[in-house]
Amino acid sequence: MIEADGLVRRFASRPALDGLSLTLRAGDCLALIGPNGAGKTTLLRVIAGLLRPDGGAISVGGHRYPEARQAARPLIGYLGHDPLVYLDLTASQNLELYADLYGVPSGRVLAWLERVGLLARAYDPVRTFSRGMVQRLALARLLLHEPRLLLLDEPFSGLDAAGGELLEGVLRGLGGERGLVLVTHDMAIAARHATRVMGLRRGVAAFEMEGPVGHADLAARYAEVIS
Amino acid sequence: MIETGPGRSIAIWGTLTAVLSAAAILGAFLVAPEDADQGVIQRIFYFHVAIALTSMVAFAVAFVAGVLYLRNRDRRFDEVGVVSVGLGLLFSALTVLTGSIWAKASWGIWWQWSDPRLVTYAIVVLLYMAYFMLRSSVDGERQGRYSAIFAVVAFASVPLSFYAVRVAQSFIHPVVFTQSGANMPNTMLIWFVVSQVAMLSLFVTLLKLELLQRRTDRALNELKLRLESVRPL
Amino acid sequence: MTLGARQFRALLLKDLRLELRTRQTAIAMILFAVVAMMAFQFGFGFRVDDTTPLAGGILWATLALTAVLGVGRSFVPEREQRVLDGLLLAPVSRSLLLAARAASVFAYMLVVEVITVPLVTVFFVQDPAATDFALIALVCVTANLGIAILGSLLAAMAVFTRARELLLPVLFLPALLPVIIASAGATHAVLGVSDDMPEYNGYILFLLVYAVIFALVAYATYDYVFDD
Repeated sequence: MIEADGLVRRFASRPALDGLSLTLRAGDCLALIGPNGAGKTTLLRVIAGLLRPDGGAISVGGHRYPEARQAARPLIGYLGHDPLVYLDLTASQNLELYADLYGVPSGRVLAWLERVGLLARAYDPVRTFSRGMVQRLALARLLLHEPRLLLLDEPFSGLDAAGGELLEGVLRGLGGERGLVLVTHDMAIAARHATRVMGLRRGVAAFEMEGPVGHADLAARYAEVIS
Repeated sequence: MIETGPGRSIAIWGTLTAVLSAAAILGAFLVAPEDADQGVIQRIFYFHVAIALTSMVAFAVAFVAGVLYLRNRDRRFDEVGVVSVGLGLLFSALTVLTGSIWAKASWGIWWQWSDPRLVTYAIVVLLYMAYFMLRSSVDGERQGRYSAIFAVVAFASVPLSFYAVRVAQSFIHPVVFTQSGANMPNTMLIWFVVSQVAMLSLFVTLLKLELLQRRTDRALNELKLRLESVRPL
Repeated sequence: MTLGARQFRALLLKDLRLELRTRQTAIAMILFAVVAMMAFQFGFGFRVDDTTPLAGGILWATLALTAVLGVGRSFVPEREQRVLDGLLLAPVSRSLLLAARAASVFAYMLVVEVITVPLVTVFFVQDPAATDFALIALVCVTANLGIAILGSLLAAMAVFTRARELLLPVLFLPALLPVIIASAGATHAVLGVSDDMPEYNGYILFLLVYAVIFALVAYATYDYVFDD
C-alpha cells in the first residue's frame, strides 16, 4: 500500500527525514517508535499527502505522489494531534461536512455517532464537549469514509476510557486488506497491535523488526539501538 | 575552488554596460538635438523611458521565475525572482522620480493624476513593496512559493492598473492621447535605443552580480555546516 | 449531484453555519462600511454643496476597504481551531476550495452592498432614479467577482504569515485599485442626471476582464498555496 524510497524533508536546513525508505503491504500494522524529532510525525504527514518531500519517491495505494495525491486521499485516514473538527458546529454537522467532502452516504453520520457513543449529543456544538468526547468525535471523523490506510499519530493520548476501548476495538478488527501506521512512544501499545516495528532516529530507520513483537524484546532493541 | 566563469561573464556585461551608458549619456546630453519646446530637461526623457521599460522587463523576469519556481521548487528561481523584483522596484522608483521631474518641466507640476503611465508606476511601486512585505512575514520554503504566486499576481495587476487609469481618463478627458516619442526624428530615436540597451545591460549586470553574491553566500554557509557536522565543538 | 457540487455545497454550508452561529463577520463589515462612509463625508463631503458626483467614489472606496476587512476572515476558524488539515486531507480539489471561499466572500459583499448602496443614495445622492439601482447592482456583481477571487487567493496566503491583519491590506489594496477606478466610474456614470451608457459599459467590461484575468491567475496558482 505504501512504497516510499529515500524520502528527504528539510525544515530550515535541518533534515527531518534523511533518506527514509519504507514498504507497507495490506494487512501490515507498522508501529513507528523513536525519540522526539526523529521524523515520525513528518513521515506520517508525507504519507498523508499533507507535506511534500524535498527528495525521494513515494506512492500510496499505487498512486504516485505528488501527481496522483488527490486519487489517494479517499484511501487514507489520518489522526494527528488535532481532532480536525469545528468547535462552533454540532457533532453531526461536522460529520456531515466530512461525509460530503469524501462523497460517502450521509446515513453513516448518525451510525458513527452512535458507535462512538455521541448520539445523545449529536446536535450540540462541539465547543460544549469534553476533551475525551472531542477525541471520540475525531475517531468518527477518521473512520467515516472507511479508509483502507490508517495513519495514527499517538492516537491514544487524550482519549477517555470509552474512547480508548473503541480505538482498541478498531485496531483489533482491522482485517487483512487494511494497512496501519501507528506512531507511538508507548511500547506496550506497539507490542499489542503491531505486526512490524520500525525505530526512527534522525530521519532514518535505525532498526526494523518483523512479525508480532514482544514488549520486552522491543524495549531491549530500542534501548540498544536508540538510547 | 572559485570558478572564473561567473566572474568573467560579469566583467563582460559590466564593461558593456559602462560603454553603452557612457555613449547614452554623451549622446543624450551632447549630441541629440535640443527639443524646441521643453529645452534641456527633456533630455531626461531618454533615460526615463529606458528605465521604465527595463523595470517592466525585470518584473516579467520575476513573473517567469515565479512560474518556474512553482513547477520545480528550485531555489535558484526564487533567487532570480527576488533579485529581479528588487531591481525592478528600484527602476520603478526611479521612473516615478524622473517622470515627476519631466512632468514639472513639461507641465509645470510635480504630479499629474491624468497621466496613466506615471500613476501606473506609482501603483507598481506599492505592489512590489508589498512583495517584500510578504516575503518578510513568511519563512522557509513557503517564502519562495508565496513570493512566486505574488509575483504572478502583481505582474497581472500592472496592465490592469494601466488600462483602468487610461480608460477612466479617456472618459474624463476625451481627447486623443499623444504618445510622445512615437514620431520623433531619427537623431533623437537613436539615443532612445542606445539608452534602452544600456539600461537593459545594466539590469543584467546587476542581476548577475547579485546572484553570484547570493550563490557564494550559500556555498559558504554549506561549507560551514559541513565542517560543523564533521567536527562538532 | 456530482461529488464536486456536493463538496462545494458542503463548504458553503459550513461557512454559512459558522457565520450564523458566531455572527461575527457580516455585521462587522456592515458597521465598518457605514463608519467609513461617514469618514469620507467628514473628510471631504462637507466641502461641496452637491455630493452626487462624489457618491460613486465614496461607495467604492468604502466597499474596497470593507472587502479587505471581510476577506481577512477567510480561514480564520480553520486556523484558530487547527482544522485546515481536515479540509486538505479530503479529496477536494484546491481550486474547489478557492471557488467555495470566493463564493462566500461574494455573498458577504452582496450583503454589505444591499445595505450600503441605499445608504449611499440617501446620504450623498440628490435625485436617485429607480433604474440607477439596477445598474449599480450589476456593477456590484461584476466588481464582486474580481474582489472575491483575488481576495480569496491573497487571504489564503496571508493565513500562513505573521502580522496577517496588516499584511492583507498591503497585498490586496494596490491590486484592487483598478476595481475602485472602474466601479466608481461605472457608478458615477449612472448616478448623475443622465446615464452615460457607453461609459458604463466600458467600465463593466473592464471589471469582467479583471475578474477573468484573476480567475486564471488564481486557478493556476491556488494548488500551490496549501502544497507544503
